[in-house]
Amino acid sequence: MAAVLTLGVLLTGCGGSDESSGGGKTVLRYTWWGNPDRAARTHEAVALFEKEHPGITVQTSFAGYEAYKQKLATQAAGGDAPDVMQLDYRQIDQYASGGILLDLGKQKKALRTDEIDAGLLATGVVDGTQYAIPQGRGTETVVYDAKQWKAAGVALPRNGWTWDDWADAMRELAKKTGKPGSVDPGQSEDCFEVWLRGQGKTLYTQDRELGFTADDLTRWWTFTDKLRREGAVSAAEQTTQLDGTVENQPLARGKAVSDFNWDAPASGFTPIVGEGLTLGPMPSGTNGTPGQYFKPSMFMGAAATSEHPEESAAFIDFMINDEKAAKILGASRGIPVNEPIRDAIGPGLKDFDKTIADYQDSVDGKLEAPPQAPPSGDNALQTTFGRDYDQVSFEQMSPREAAEDFITEAKAEVRS
Amino acid sequence: MTTTDIPVQAARAQSPEPSRKPRGKREREGAAWVFLSPWVLGAVVLTLLPMAVSLYLSFTDYDLFNAPRWVGFRNYVQMFTEDPRYWRSVGATLTYVVIAVPLQLALALAVALALKSMRRGKAFYRSAFYAPSLLGASMSIALVWRAVFNDGGTVDNVLSGMGVHTGGWVNKPGWALLAVALLTVWQFGAPMVIFLAGLQQIPAELYEAAAVDGASRRRQFISITLPMLSPVLFFNLVLQTIQAFQVFTPAFAVSGGKGGPADSTLFYTLYLYDRGFVASHMGYASAMAWVLLIAIGAVTAVLFRTSRSWVFYANEGER
Repeated sequence: MAAVLTLGVLLTGCGGSDESSGGGKTVLRYTWWGNPDRAARTHEAVALFEKEHPGITVQTSFAGYEAYKQKLATQAAGGDAPDVMQLDYRQIDQYASGGILLDLGKQKKALRTDEIDAGLLATGVVDGTQYAIPQGRGTETVVYDAKQWKAAGVALPRNGWTWDDWADAMRELAKKTGKPGSVDPGQSEDCFEVWLRGQGKTLYTQDRELGFTADDLTRWWTFTDKLRREGAVSAAEQTTQLDGTVENQPLARGKAVSDFNWDAPASGFTPIVGEGLTLGPMPSGTNGTPGQYFKPSMFMGAAATSEHPEESAAFIDFMINDEKAAKILGASRGIPVNEPIRDAIGPGLKDFDKTIADYQDSVDGKLEAPPQAPPSGDNALQTTFGRDYDQVSFEQMSPREAAEDFITEAKAEVRS
Repeated sequence: MTTTDIPVQAARAQSPEPSRKPRGKREREGAAWVFLSPWVLGAVVLTLLPMAVSLYLSFTDYDLFNAPRWVGFRNYVQMFTEDPRYWRSVGATLTYVVIAVPLQLALALAVALALKSMRRGKAFYRSAFYAPSLLGASMSIALVWRAVFNDGGTVDNVLSGMGVHTGGWVNKPGWALLAVALLTVWQFGAPMVIFLAGLQQIPAELYEAAAVDGASRRRQFISITLPMLSPVLFFNLVLQTIQAFQVFTPAFAVSGGKGGPADSTLFYTLYLYDRGFVASHMGYASAMAWVLLIAIGAVTAVLFRTSRSWVFYANEGER
């Protein structure tokens, strides 16, 4: 294993491609993560870019998030990062400080940023440098099957409802429908963050230390664990199978009435749940403090090692600021960040794109500012969070014990 | 890590033989190097060098992005004192080895015995039983396994039909490990073929003599078959134990890469992969790899030690 482990690292170092000039054309490599729907729309947009820039060819490749993350990290470590890459909020800090990303502030000629909301644009800044441009805006949501929910005669999700309201609704849904009202949110760091923010706390402080204690986490896991025991949220056997794809969420398996998710990826439920698929706001704190926030659903960055920084910047500009491209991409990467374009394509959005836009309008202006980019260790902690909760939901540890374990590991992650 | 003996063999193969013609010797040596070069290169570039690098990395904090930072023994200390999940992965791995290896060897021996006394169709059944060994390491079989043992999968349905309601195995702690172990046991073909070869080496006159003396089949098995087969048994035991410690693919596929439920299938290699490629702690992962290497070495050494008391070599009497 020792050999295998380092082998991967060494091999990628030898993979420096010389394909950047195929037949006199400039070739850009562009990678992203996503589902087939996003892939189809991306390919269409890329084709349009190539038509408008006959001298440039864009080679694309995509994968699921987990696989993408691992592949990109290995490529980047080997000095072979793609020219243009899609990045998550959790990756930016690591990639920027590792010297992987190009300073996009120096590419102003090719890449306009003046039509992007200043607060959102700032989320792509690390240590004063614009390393990445947010590509879309997303927020968390309670996604539910309105048909089943209404048939049960339970009050629908509404703005300003609290976690207690939500818990009562889940109990009632479980009683009326005979199946859990929701996925167990205990396994999700995202849901925990929303709950935490509802109480005026944060996952991380300004100094990138942990913003919560084992007591906070114990309370959260005690709350969700109790609901699980009552059958109001999904059983441990269901919860442990979650892997980030919508297909494996209890809602998609017909084992729950609702789910917690981000708004854009919730589109994946449409073919399974059908017409009734609806987005509702996240529960807020007892005094009405909203926990959810608008965050950049993803970023575009360019490689510092790219031989074609200007062309890369031009491509990012096209994906973010071109109206025709925006029409093709719709809300597949979240609602566009370019404000004039958001307004221009808004009325033309169809189907679930429109559901997302309407949902975002319904909470717009009511939410607090997003937290700054999480420290790089958070990437790993997301997985740890779910794992530690597994110990609770399978009743092998008390919420307190599991919370202590998590805090120990989190402190080590954030320190390093 | 069985490949580490290659450079040793290579070195031995090209070591100078006593010869009276220096020039011829040099020519032959040159030719030897040419023919050996693929292996020597492979051993150095693909095995020795990465191993050296990984040993170095195990003493560093390395996240793939920033240059490795020397931290001394911190990774090792953290592993043994501050990482409860590490010990859970050690526990899961040991449980798995203790369940899967004996079961697999017992089944392999039983089938080999049955095949040995078979008159017709032997070749067919031998191939049929061997087939899973060829397929078993693949991702696709592991995924099929996951489906078979899942909620509403084949196993669940068949057992329910018999009135036993187990539900899905892969999402229950304890049961999931058993499902993965069964996947290994199912691949008993490789040790079986070796047992079969061993059984055929046992001289028939021993059985004839025993039969004349009135020994029962059971007596013959205990007093002739087992002792005569013990070197082969030992060989299989060592090989399968080493392999079992390094099991990765089935657990990765069956648990969706997470080692769940509740870390019950978080085998050592799976956690190692997780630390290295998911959490970007390559230094820590390298340290884990070295501990595994040493642990496997130690277990193998212990097996060799105990073998003196139970492995019987037919030529021992001549010494």
